Amino acid sequence: MPESSTPPDPANDPSSDEKRPQDSLGVNIFAYLLSGVILFGGIGWLLDRWLGTSFIVGFGVIGGTALSLYLVWVRYGSAR
Amino acid sequence: MLATAEAGGWEAPGVSDFWQPLIGDGAWAITRPMFVMAISVVVIGAVLLALTKKLSIVPANKKQFATEALYGVVRNGVARDIIGSREFLKFVPLLFTMFVLIVVNNLVGTLPPVMFPTMSRFAFPVALTLIVFVLYHALGVKRKGAVGYIKSMVPPGIPIALLPIVFLLELFTYFISRPLTLAVRLFANMFAGHMLILVVYLGGEYLILHGDGLLPVAGVVSFLGGVGFSFFELLIQVLQAYIFTLLTAVYIAGSLADEH
Repeated sequence: MPESSTPPDPANDPSSDEKRPQDSLGVNIFAYLLSGVILFGGIGWLLDRWLGTSFIVGFGVIGGTALSLYLVWVRYGSAR
Repeated sequence: MLATAEAGGWEAPGVSDFWQPLIGDGAWAITRPMFVMAISVVVIGAVLLALTKKLSIVPANKKQFATEALYGVVRNGVARDIIGSREFLKFVPLLFTMFVLIVVNNLVGTLPPVMFPTMSRFAFPVALTLIVFVLYHALGVKRKGAVGYIKSMVPPGIPIALLPIVFLLELFTYFISRPLTLAVRLFANMFAGHMLILVVYLGGEYLILHGDGLLPVAGVVSFLGGVGFSFFELLIQVLQAYIFTLLTAVYIAGSLADEH
């Protein structure tokens, strides 16, 4: 990785103020998707165990994924 | 491994190969990766001190230049670009330490004489992740206050009806998904990579020593493939250390950001 020959003072270097949030986009989105599936799938599974049913876990997983996708869209999808 | 292989048939390497106690046994055993980690800390410290002993403003020797280039990657390429020029400096020591520690402990997984990746034992990435976890929450609370920090997790523009479940989802992401993926990413990459190399080399060895007919030829091919995998592993090992450091910076930056 090349070092710049004259490192500018970071305090008054405007170009270095551009952050790179897109670097972590994939990782963050993955974390949200995982959260949705595990959290709401888990809640569904617990409800299934409690009520003696077996279908709520499916709704939980799908609903959680949908909610995750919605949140990802709100956070990163809309132009700001 | 060899003994069982000779006793009867091929036994594939498994999770048990990663449990290598040196002193004692059970939960309090001193294991090989613990030893490697301790030595790596001493070696990294000594080497970095030696390399930066006679510093000059314009690097006069290659050692200082190389050290500064590595430092520059973390300082400018990770810390400044992600955290922003205003407050990145105080996090550079942590990020640089983390990067060097992980990269060295990863690379010894492929390089002799150790040839065992420390991070393939889950507790090591977990310990590093705990540091990051505590740090980014503490920074967020310090910056925005406990209530403000919790509030800042939910992005604006969410309908009130959805707020509770979105909040729950954000909370789960911040407190469980993020640290979990951070630790598992590093652990699983090192574990799987080392397992792959074990299978390829030990399988090749078994084919050469015990194979009938043309099977020893396949063993040689397996060995050659193993060499390729080893170089590939070196790449993954550096990459994973970089990603861990990058994500640490990303989470710190997220806690410091004023608004989403």
